Amino acid sequence: MSKETKSFSILIAALGGEGGGVLSDWIVSAASAMAFPVQSTSVPGVAQRTGATNYYIELFPLSRDELGGAAPVFALTPSPGRVDLVAATELMEAGRTLQNGFTHPERTTLVASTHREYAVAEIVVPGDGRYNGQKVIESAHSLTRKAHLFDMRQIAMQHGTVINSVLFGAMLGTGVLPLSRQACEDAIRQSGKSVKASLNGFNAGFDAVANGAPQAAVATGGVAAAASDKDRPAASSFDSIIESYPEPLRAILRAGVAQLIDYQDADYASLYLDRMHAVHQAGNTHATEAVSEQDRIDVTRETARYLALWMSYEDVIRVADLKSRAQRLQRVRDEVGAGPSDPLRVTEYLKPGLDELCSILPRSLANWLQARLKHRAHQLSVGIHLRSDTILGFAVLCVLRSLRPLRPRTWRFHREQETINRWLACVRHSLGIDGALARELSLSGNVVKGYGETNERGHRNLATILALAGQSGQDVAELTRQVRTERLRALAEGETPTPTVTTQGPVIKPISFVPRSSISTRSD
Amino acid sequence: MERSFAQEIEKLSLGEGELFHGEGILGVTKALLQSGVSYIGGYQGAPISHLIDVLGDARELLEDLGIYFENSASEAGAAAMLGASVNYPIRGAVTWKSTVGTNVASDALSNLSSTGVIGGALIILGEDYGEGSSIIQERTHSFAMKSQMWLLDPRPNLASIAAAVEKGFELSEASNTPVMMQLRIRACHVHGTFVASDNRAPVYSMNNRLPKAVFDPMSINLPPATYAQEKHKIDQRWPAAVKYLQENPLNELFDGDCDDVGIIVVGGMYNGLIGAMQQLGLADSFGASRIPLLALNVVYPLVPDELSRFCAGKRAVLMVEEGQPNHLEEALNAILRRADLQTEVHGKGAFPVAGEYTGEVILKGVAAFIEAVTPRGLQSTAVVERAADLGSTKSRAVASLGAPVPVRPPGFCVGCPERPVFAALKMTQRRFGAIHISADIGCHTFGALAPFQVGNTVLGYGLGLASSSGIGHLMDRRVISIMGDGGFWHGGLTSGVVNAVYNQHDSILVIMKNGYTSATGTQIIPSSPSQPASKEQTLDIETTLKGVGVKWIKTVPSYEVGKMLLALSDSMTTTTPGLKVVIADGECQLERQRRVRPLIAQSLARKERVVTTRFGIDSDVCTGDHSCIRISGCPSLTIKPNPSALRTDPVASVNQGCVGCGLCGENAHAATLCPSFYKAEIIRNPGWFDRLKHQVRSTVIGWMAGAARVAS
Repeated sequence: MSKETKSFSILIAALGGEGGGVLSDWIVSAASAMAFPVQSTSVPGVAQRTGATNYYIELFPLSRDELGGAAPVFALTPSPGRVDLVAATELMEAGRTLQNGFTHPERTTLVASTHREYAVAEIVVPGDGRYNGQKVIESAHSLTRKAHLFDMRQIAMQHGTVINSVLFGAMLGTGVLPLSRQACEDAIRQSGKSVKASLNGFNAGFDAVANGAPQAAVATGGVAAAASDKDRPAASSFDSIIESYPEPLRAILRAGVAQLIDYQDADYASLYLDRMHAVHQAGNTHATEAVSEQDRIDVTRETARYLALWMSYEDVIRVADLKSRAQRLQRVRDEVGAGPSDPLRVTEYLKPGLDELCSILPRSLANWLQARLKHRAHQLSVGIHLRSDTILGFAVLCVLRSLRPLRPRTWRFHREQETINRWLACVRHSLGIDGALARELSLSGNVVKGYGETNERGHRNLATILALAGQSGQDVAELTRQVRTERLRALAEGETPTPTVTTQGPVIKPISFVPRSSISTRSD
Repeated sequence: MERSFAQEIEKLSLGEGELFHGEGILGVTKALLQSGVSYIGGYQGAPISHLIDVLGDARELLEDLGIYFENSASEAGAAAMLGASVNYPIRGAVTWKSTVGTNVASDALSNLSSTGVIGGALIILGEDYGEGSSIIQERTHSFAMKSQMWLLDPRPNLASIAAAVEKGFELSEASNTPVMMQLRIRACHVHGTFVASDNRAPVYSMNNRLPKAVFDPMSINLPPATYAQEKHKIDQRWPAAVKYLQENPLNELFDGDCDDVGIIVVGGMYNGLIGAMQQLGLADSFGASRIPLLALNVVYPLVPDELSRFCAGKRAVLMVEEGQPNHLEEALNAILRRADLQTEVHGKGAFPVAGEYTGEVILKGVAAFIEAVTPRGLQSTAVVERAADLGSTKSRAVASLGAPVPVRPPGFCVGCPERPVFAALKMTQRRFGAIHISADIGCHTFGALAPFQVGNTVLGYGLGLASSSGIGHLMDRRVISIMGDGGFWHGGLTSGVVNAVYNQHDSILVIMKNGYTSATGTQIIPSSPSQPASKEQTLDIETTLKGVGVKWIKTVPSYEVGKMLLALSDSMTTTTPGLKVVIADGECQLERQRRVRPLIAQSLARKERVVTTRFGIDSDVCTGDHSCIRISGCPSLTIKPNPSALRTDPVASVNQGCVGCGLCGENAHAATLCPSFYKAEIIRNPGWFDRLKHQVRSTVIGWMAGAARVAS
């Protein structure tokens, strides 16, 4: 028996329901087949399927015969600097093992999938609350002896298997796991479930690490992927106008023009460019020390972004339009995994209310309705299950989207344009004052969005911001700070619970004692 | 139940000399069968649920041996079962999750330990201390001391654990005292091996019944027997236990060359300690240590001679004892004082007073001890430097990552029927303002986490309603209590419902009727929807409520958020006095999927028509506000990068895990969300009529969709 030989320790970090337990069993089974002493343990949390969990294995890479009866003592918990191989099914779980100090730059090999399963803390945030995954990737390389990082979910999906088999293959592929390939494959075979798919995943994982098969890109961080279908080039008549802008602004303007042609028509896109022209000019004419060239670019870009989004506000017409396109029908099929010949029933969940109705009515009619019904608007929403796979249901969508030419005459259109103009005036004005303030105001265009009550609230919040910005004689830095605070508050504001029902207090029965005798009773 | 244990049951039948491979808690189960127990009971809870699950499936094996087994209705019921060993020479074992289970069982345990036992009585306690534990952090040790029951804490390998079970019965019988054996969560789930022996049929069993009842006035807790029992504990049973332990040493001594110091470790922490010592170069792979070790597999009672013998001649010893108060350290100090030994005792100080002794903590503690006492013949500075290097990995990582990675606590499963109830509760709070909600123990405790944050207090299992009795009368609006069906049968019916009816509470109770104790691994309960053939009677919650006088009861399907919201609003506003109960009826989705998935697979294989449901989101309609997520938190409802070139915020997205529970659609309506949700029902293996309809519809719709595209 070699004095040099040490226990080999493996930490598997996973999420509940990802097959970490099965992976752990495979390793135990493979080690047992090689007659290595092995111990695994876990805190599976029995049924809660979504939390972070880990499995810890120690094995002694000498057969029982070679050990001649000596029994190694294995630890039950991972410990900093003790782990030889860390395997993580997801990027943040890899990050968690790093954060807990389990990896040592001289000892630990890390194998992890770079895909993300977002934590609740990341997804409940209005806007973007995603953790910057790039940090984990960088740290992984500096805090381990060797890190093998690639998108295993992708590979698992390609092979119709679960991520654990790909991870198992990748672990063996690193060359540090002291198990034979034969033993590992046999372990998968013995488990008897989806053996073929698991073995395919195992081999793909092995190849990805051992043979350096092309590793998937590690794009995971905060930046959104580039658009695809929205990249349609703007109509050529707009090209020359867009070309006249500095290079960094052209892409966003092109996207904005495309969005508005798609939303309404070329005239509307022209209006967009006119408005942007005014903003851009304001930046150039009111040149001041307090507004740098970069400020002007940034302000124009963000204004271009939020103006395009705001001008293409979501109304019933827009929603019906987006839901009744041929690409959409195909996308639904792809997303839910329906084959081309599988009949598919699609139900849309719509709950139009007073706001939605008014958004397609002419101003006078809408104003009259608003005046009469606004106070009980919250009772007027009707939940509709619209079957858009039926001819009639789809026809409803088609009728609604056909109202598009009438849109500029609606109450909602006028209301949005009015506020847009006020906002733009404010942005233009600020470009003559201070770069930071102008940035804040351009970003404030993001405050108005969404549907129904959310949209209403956005309008209220923007009104507050514009009123702030309109105050004269304020210290600019202080004003900028206030606008920023107000903007962030508006964006972070989830549902403001304004109780609509009040109740009576609970009925409290007077305390009574069962008369036992004439003597007053004490409760002892 | 969560899984089938057919394979495990085979392992329970292994005979003399065969090698048992398996989980710690199954090793315990096997050891019980080898010890000749006559009866076994228990209440489920991590990490001992598998003991109950396996025996529940091992009917034939138990019948052969004549062992009676029951899945008790609560820990109190399980503990009271040990009453069988008071008057009769029969061995029994019960199990539950400590320390919460011990609290529930305490009435019976106190009486049992006062009376004493003739037959061996063993209580197997699954400890859940530290590392993601979802129970209060307390020690069982204190409980053992106050009732003078013996406490085993064996080394966490299967051979030691199995031996402790068999020795535990002997100790119990030698001292007429019930014995507790605690196993930490990782020891219960540890996979290892031990050499089995034959199962032993008990002398008295269901196959060979006791011939007559024994009456002994001294086993009744009336005076003067109670005083005699206390004296007997002190004068007879305790000395008998110590004598047994002197004659049959269960604690283990490991020699080492640096013998001017020593380490005393509770058995359960032994592997952790050796692990740390291996890292510090103080022990080899096989546990040979440079510092002498004393492993206490029996932590109560202590054997004073044994401890003073170990400490004699040593300058200092380290006590490795997790949790607080530090009973062992204090007892050791007292023993040494009485023996007039001057050995320094290190313990808390080198180690933190509170919190789990993870590998990292033990490493630091041992290094601190080495640094303080510099054992003879040891390069102490090298050890300390090594510890510092290992300890720095964490701070380096934290610095490198910048911000802590997002936490990921356990939560409701995909499609869980409790999620929609919390969505409705959150909307109720929006409608009425903040309402005090007395939460309970079960999966539904997760309602207190993001995104719901519903639940103001948790006082114990089944105590949701009872814990509202005080506050319910001091609030300006009605309060809501939550109780699971598991908690309802565990005691909530009497402590909560009966109490509220009797005292005429004007409050609201929401019962989560999902059919199982899901948090412990979906064990069956009296109102489970399907049960093994032997238990045909299924109790009904609604009938029971009516039986104890509840007048206002509404049963609402869990997934129908709109109806639930209406029922909750009614309960808040109705003028009906008394307790109002809303039963949220929806089967545990884990169990449902376990049942439904194979059926669907079979149907698909037989080419039968199957409709599967999935939800989806139109990403171009979604604005990235995520308000849908804030009333769901479903792992399947997540986010993805925004496909739009203009938008930067990620859009909501439904991933492959969706089971089509319907909550997304219900929420979209109940909370007036944006119109981006859709439900897609795919018809697999469609009939001719389905195909025809599909043909006609897709042709016409395709034409309408195509016609509308304006050139862009």
